[in-house]
Amino acid sequence: MTELTFRRIHRATPGLLFDCLTTPEHLTRFWGPKGTTTPIENITVDLRPGGVFETTMVDDADGGRYTMRAVYVVVQRPDRLVWQDADNGMLTTITFVDLHDGRTEVVTHQEKVPAPIASPAAQSGFVTSLDRFDAYIIDGART
Amino acid sequence: MTVLEDDLSLVFTALADPTRRAILERLSRGDATVHQLAEPFAMSQQAVSKHLLVLERAQLISRSRIGQSRPCSLDAERLAEAVGWIETNRRVWADRHDRLAEHLETL
Repeated sequence: MTELTFRRIHRATPGLLFDCLTTPEHLTRFWGPKGTTTPIENITVDLRPGGVFETTMVDDADGGRYTMRAVYVVVQRPDRLVWQDADNGMLTTITFVDLHDGRTEVVTHQEKVPAPIASPAAQSGFVTSLDRFDAYIIDGART
Repeated sequence: MTVLEDDLSLVFTALADPTRRAILERLSRGDATVHQLAEPFAMSQQAVSKHLLVLERAQLISRSRIGQSRPCSLDAERLAEAVGWIETNRRVWADRHDRLAEHLETL
């Protein structure tokens, strides 16, 4: 099983970061990537295993909407949060690792990655980006 | 391996190995036989064949059914799909964390 992993260190406690990722008032400030916004009324959080986690991002340029429907699998403040995408089954696990110096590493694992929804990227120059897979893809055998 | 054959996971697994990525890079410059592929890697043809099987299952390469040499060719579209998906996904999370860091500053 192959996973995608994304790591980022923030200057905050695990508890605060957990709350940021599970509270609509916080999520609306950062959830949508650049060029999109996620209005607070577009965010549903029912924070318990089996509860719904739903967000609809709105494209700032053309008003296009993208909805993610998920169900929480593990809700364990402040260390661990797991949700499963209701549409494609992708499993996202977020782990909050206290570095004991005022910082916390947020590790996002994604498993059961779906077939691509987005259109294929431009083909020119894609081979040169292959090396980046090293940092980003973790073979399940090594984890 | 519990994933479906048509799942992109097969592609990601195939790409996780540096030798297989090097094989793909070689094939991006043109079709090649197993013999030609084995040369630069100091590997037996048998070992290379195993890697080719993984790449073939992920549909990243195709092999001619005609003739003894069975040259391999790259399926560029399939690879571009995988690269595109990973890049998009990575960018979403990178942006998200950039904005989270900005948000934390305001608290």
